Amino acid sequence: MGSEEQLKGKVEDRFESARATIQRKQRLLITLDRDALASLLLFLKSEGLAHLAAISCVDWLEQGTFQLTYHVASYSEGIHAMVEVNVPREKPKFISIVPIYKHAQTYEREIWEMFGVEFEGNARLVPFLLDRWQNTPPMRKDFDTRQYVHETFGVEERRQKTEEV
Amino acid sequence: MRELELYFGPQHPGMVGNFSITLKVEGDRVVEATSNPGFLHRGFEKLMEYRSWTQNFPLVCRLNVMDPDPYEMVYAMGVEELAGIEVPPRARYIRTIVLELSRIASHLFWAWGYANMLGFDTLGQWSMGDRDYILDLFELLTGGRVYHIYIWPGGVRRDLPQGFEERTLQTLEELAGRLPDYDDVFFENRIFVSRARGTGKVDRDTALALGATGPVLRAAGLKYDTRKTEPYAAYQDLEFQVPTRQQGDSYCRAMVIREEIQESIAIVRQCFEQMPEGPAFHRPPNPFKWKIPPGETYVRIEGARGETGAYLVSDGGNKPYRIHFRSPSYPHGILLLEELLKGASIADVGHIMMSLNIAAPEIDR
Repeated sequence: MGSEEQLKGKVEDRFESARATIQRKQRLLITLDRDALASLLLFLKSEGLAHLAAISCVDWLEQGTFQLTYHVASYSEGIHAMVEVNVPREKPKFISIVPIYKHAQTYEREIWEMFGVEFEGNARLVPFLLDRWQNTPPMRKDFDTRQYVHETFGVEERRQKTEEV
Repeated sequence: MRELELYFGPQHPGMVGNFSITLKVEGDRVVEATSNPGFLHRGFEKLMEYRSWTQNFPLVCRLNVMDPDPYEMVYAMGVEELAGIEVPPRARYIRTIVLELSRIASHLFWAWGYANMLGFDTLGQWSMGDRDYILDLFELLTGGRVYHIYIWPGGVRRDLPQGFEERTLQTLEELAGRLPDYDDVFFENRIFVSRARGTGKVDRDTALALGATGPVLRAAGLKYDTRKTEPYAAYQDLEFQVPTRQQGDSYCRAMVIREEIQESIAIVRQCFEQMPEGPAFHRPPNPFKWKIPPGETYVRIEGARGETGAYLVSDGGNKPYRIHFRSPSYPHGILLLEELLKGASIADVGHIMMSLNIAAPEIDR
């Protein structure tokens, strides 16, 4: 049995809400209830997936959730697992995994800034890339960039005629 | 002693790229450093949600001006995986050549920035000149010197032009001949060695905890290279070493990068020797009608600075629903840099920053 299958088996045995799919060689997709995330990440880390590559956030506006994807991988075998949980859009609050992966701090900070998800336990939820931003977190799907430009900088008047220069 | 706050960048002759570090110093020692990225935040990830799959492909290279091809590659790989597109064997080899030439150009650019931080301008004058010959090769191949817009989903945009192989091998031969001079003047220079040894030292566990990859991690003792653990393009058919060192200081990082230039030259030569025949790309779909089935994927490759990755999500439409780029400088430039600058002398701030090979545009995207 390949390591992906072994890992899938272990994850589904130990974590009731977890569903693991082997997308292809060296790629696992695991979805589970968000309450079990920290335990699962600790378990995966002990199984060799000790590299946190990134944390991504996807705004599913229609479904009303923010999907948080934790990308963890093994340095030696190249197995990469995308661990996904959902957080309600109306109350975007979740735990910080900085105690498990120290550098998760920066990824969570950016998701806080760009999506507005609060990570309890992250000591550095302060502005990161944006400068004095007062508006909706801009990576949200309901933030319209064109509308923002019009409101902030005014609408450009369409030129009515061209002139020879 | 009085504590002062100094700003290293964004306007500073020693700053490479638009980046800023706020330093709290006591005398000559840095007590605390805070990275301030964001000057190059162009909002690519949001922009790409408004553009079709084909329209996005010329945008991706702009994420890192010094090493643009890895981003073209991860975008293409991600789209190929979601859409089920195969890449012809010849394209795999051509992609490898492009990626390794980009690595060489990036390392030569690094040599300029790094030596300059140590007050040694000569190396940069040489290496930027030699890098220009590599850019000429890119111009011959793709039409563009810096941004190539060449690796697209399905292969590469066009086949190798007449004379490209000859010219590339000749350029690399000349570069290989100059590397001993680089060693003579800089890499074996007593002053460089004594300044770089022990400076900016990071042990393996701290490097791992702070998300380091690429030469930074390899200089700290972990031989982790995506080209070996998850081969892509033509790497599984090629023989090459992965330079590694143990002490994790600035000297080790510099030597890893120096040795990688030589390995990249060897890889490009092998690619030409083993180049298969066949098409350079599978015809891409009509860009106006191209919808990709719903799905998500994470792809990673080994860029010059470390793990370069992309997370793509498709909702079945003709535009990406979400695309998130993982850049190697992201962990290096924030937490790792802040950690290594603690206790450093002011003269070493730029040196440590450049030894991590931080590229500001890829932090900000």
